[in-house]
Amino acid sequence: MVFNMERRTTPFAKMYLIAIFIILYAPIFFLIFYSFNSGGTMSHFKGFTLDWYRSLLDDKRLLIIVLNTFAIALISALIATIVGVFGALAIYSFKKRQTKNTVLSLNNILIVSPDVIMGASFLILFTIAGIHLGFMSVLLSHIAFSIPIVVLLVLPKLNEMQPSLIDAAKDLGATEWQVLTRVIFPYITPGIFAGFFMALTYSLDDFAVTFFVTGNGFSTLSVEIYSLARRGISLNINALSTVLFLFTMILIVIYYFLQQRSHVKTMGVRK
Amino acid sequence: MENNIIIKFQHVTKTYHDDLVLDDVSFELERGKFYTLLGPSGCGKTTILRLIAGFTEATKGEIFFDGKKVNTIPPNKRKVNTVFQDYALFPHLNVFENVAFGLRIKKFKQKIIEEKVKEALSFVNLSGYEDRDIKQMSGGQKQRVAIARAIVNEPDVILLDEPLSALDLKLRTQMQYELRELQRRLGITFVFVTHDQEEALAMSDEIFVINEGKIQQRGTPLDIYDEPINRFVADFIGESNIIKGKMIEDFLVEFVGKQFECVDQGIRANESVEIVIRPEDIEITTLEKGKIHGHVQSVLFRGVHYEIVCQDITGNEWLIHTTKKAFVGEEIGLFFTPESIHVMRLGETEEEFDLRLQSYSEDQTNE
Amino acid sequence: MNNRKMRNLFMIPYALWIILFVVTPIILVAYYSFFDIEGYFSFANYKKFFTPVYLKMTLSSFWYAFLITFFSLIIAYPTALFLTRTKHKQLWLLLIIVPSWINLLLKAYAFIGIFGKYGPPNQFLEWLGIGTKQILFTDFSFIFVSVYIFIPFMILPIFNALNELPSSIMDAATDLGASKWTTFKRVIFPLTIDGVKTGCQIVFIPALSLFMLTRLIAGNRVITLGTAIEQHFLVTQDWGMGATIAVFLIIFMFIIMILTGTRKRGV
Ligand SMILES: Nc1ncnc2c1ncn2[C@@H]1O[C@H](COP(=O)(O)OP(=O)(O)OP(=O)(O)O)[C@@H](O)[C@H]1O
Ligand SMILES: [Mg+2]
Repeated sequence: MVFNMERRTTPFAKMYLIAIFIILYAPIFFLIFYSFNSGGTMSHFKGFTLDWYRSLLDDKRLLIIVLNTFAIALISALIATIVGVFGALAIYSFKKRQTKNTVLSLNNILIVSPDVIMGASFLILFTIAGIHLGFMSVLLSHIAFSIPIVVLLVLPKLNEMQPSLIDAAKDLGATEWQVLTRVIFPYITPGIFAGFFMALTYSLDDFAVTFFVTGNGFSTLSVEIYSLARRGISLNINALSTVLFLFTMILIVIYYFLQQRSHVKTMGVRK
Repeated sequence: MENNIIIKFQHVTKTYHDDLVLDDVSFELERGKFYTLLGPSGCGKTTILRLIAGFTEATKGEIFFDGKKVNTIPPNKRKVNTVFQDYALFPHLNVFENVAFGLRIKKFKQKIIEEKVKEALSFVNLSGYEDRDIKQMSGGQKQRVAIARAIVNEPDVILLDEPLSALDLKLRTQMQYELRELQRRLGITFVFVTHDQEEALAMSDEIFVINEGKIQQRGTPLDIYDEPINRFVADFIGESNIIKGKMIEDFLVEFVGKQFECVDQGIRANESVEIVIRPEDIEITTLEKGKIHGHVQSVLFRGVHYEIVCQDITGNEWLIHTTKKAFVGEEIGLFFTPESIHVMRLGETEEEFDLRLQSYSEDQTNE
Repeated sequence: MNNRKMRNLFMIPYALWIILFVVTPIILVAYYSFFDIEGYFSFANYKKFFTPVYLKMTLSSFWYAFLITFFSLIIAYPTALFLTRTKHKQLWLLLIIVPSWINLLLKAYAFIGIFGKYGPPNQFLEWLGIGTKQILFTDFSFIFVSVYIFIPFMILPIFNALNELPSSIMDAATDLGASKWTTFKRVIFPLTIDGVKTGCQIVFIPALSLFMLTRLIAGNRVITLGTAIEQHFLVTQDWGMGATIAVFLIIFMFIIMILTGTRKRGV
């Protein structure tokens, strides 16, 4: 690694940061490294093999789970983005500070509440509502916890917009709908993308909520990895993690470029 | 005549949650003139523009546009366009598309849009800038794009909310000139908002001086400058010497313990009044020729003229703009003509003021 | 007006979401906490919560959460501080955050291998001659992995707080004769306290409710409030008791949020 540091960075600071980076990345590369181990364990590297990747491809069950996971992620992110954008517009349109803050607080409850509580309460909700635990319940939960994130990413873009832009558009003859489609949406597009993207990654990554509301017979990758891991080490998981790591990196690069283009300073950590 | 009126406010009042912002405002605007709304920050200038454009509704009173009542007509249905204080250019569109916005909304054909936008841009001297990003434009250029975006719709009225306030002095003066030129060429009504009195005096056919939600005085720049109706207007329009005095009889007023000939009449004898004398209307002379005497307290060179402050025997401070030099501590004579003395009655409204002015001319014709 | 009608139309799905997925679940949890395992209305769950078993579990959960937050903070603060002094600091920050984007389960799984009997740390101990130790399924491994997972969440708000400090403030402080340590103690730290509070808040609350790590890494040796809730809902099916613990967790959450009360959030 090459560190480009200013004069102010002392050697100690450099060492410290390098150590942190190594510790943060070591487990990930550890996993990837052993995914090529023909030995079948995460110690003693016997020899190079792609067997684990091959058996990953042959695993029909896993393939279905991957498809489920992506279907849930895409659909939930899409719906959450639509609902969230309109939610943000609604919050933006409130004139009274009080109302704005109340709705925002309600919005943020799901973001601050621990996953276990979300999972448990959704479980009660779906049971009472008679919704079968499976694809539908997982999808609804994912939509539910993604909406507030979309709102939080879109709202700053709306607030950043000069209010006179809306007046100007009306002044030039635009109807409410035209104001929305020709001025507001183009303006907040980066926020919408960021929101969609965040929703996508939250969904892909969620374990706890899904674990609560998924029934028998339906599983997402996180839940599957959990049950595999509880049974012990299997280098299939390593191979899977390499694939997921690469996929995550691609998403991050896309997100990074979206951000660079839009200058949103809303870079966030995932749960 | 009635036909010539484009905008009419009748007893318009505007409140924001019990805050009185406009207080029973009535006025008429004629076609093809350049109007300026002048007043301190928060006096309600923008509110008047927003009422004309339709961004807010009047709490009370009626607003007419071209003879039709428009109180509840939304902004997209009014033949008015606004140049916003912050320009409000759409950052996601380039110069061409910004100007074309209104035309596209009205679903003009692409060819016509291209023609009109080209013409509008050349009107504001921005030909060749069509493909520029808004971010790449300077303040003055942005302002011209905003104007082009307004005029391309061929509105009856253009509203300009302090469009020059973000520009530096030089560009500002140039733009003042260009705006006035543009208005003459287009021949449509401009309503221009500013809180800079020099700008107002330089550009307008007519000025409305506004304070605390009320129109204090309206008139040509000269009228307002020469005959301020009250202390506020006198103070706001240029620097003034305002001194307490007493009307002795018609054409004779007393202040600083002396009586002076003046041109005002129609005021009760012995009524307390205020006298306004502009700093540039006072000349420095010898003690013998001076109408009053002053003790020079400070002298400041202002580039073209000296700004002299002196004190008379009763303690009033006098501000004088002159090209002659004086010295601190010197006793000097101050001279002014009867025409330079403006007498203001305390608390006189615009109607009363106009009535009094009218009565002069009637007096004269009667004689 | 047209405007208002359209706004109301926008509002419908979002308002439905607030009612169905924000308000209702909280009410349901509170409601369920008043039913015992046979489905009768009672305060038994609340009584049970105040028995030594549950109180001890709550205390130990708090203790672990405290340790996790504490270690996260003392590791994260210098990291954030040093990060603000690098060139391309936004890029470095991104690199720090990237691991947090990798699926949590995979990271936990990696540590099963790393801390396992033949993992690198044990091989190192072997090489030193100390011999293989049980690392997995200990308090140490639990806290280490938790800190590993939470650290980016602690770094980010602190980094943002530090980054907002104008460099002139530090210059001014040193200019006034403050040594580096004094500058830090008197100027930098107080000004970034909000970031620290936010960081502690985003780490402490989830740390109270961890349940997956307790199983995979701590081998059920550690029972947090989160584990208890999961246990009651999914294993013993005693939803009433689970809901009661959830109610307390929600209460603790609000208390913590008030204590670390800042409006700004780093996430
Ligand atoms: N939307 C609003 N809600 C409440 N009060 C308002 C609103 N808009 C304006 N006001 C108030 O109305 C008064 C007049 O405002 P206005 O914007 O017309 O002033 P202005 O003359 O344009 O001032 P400036 O020169 O600062 O632009 C101010 O006191 C302002 O606080
Ligand atoms: Mg204004």
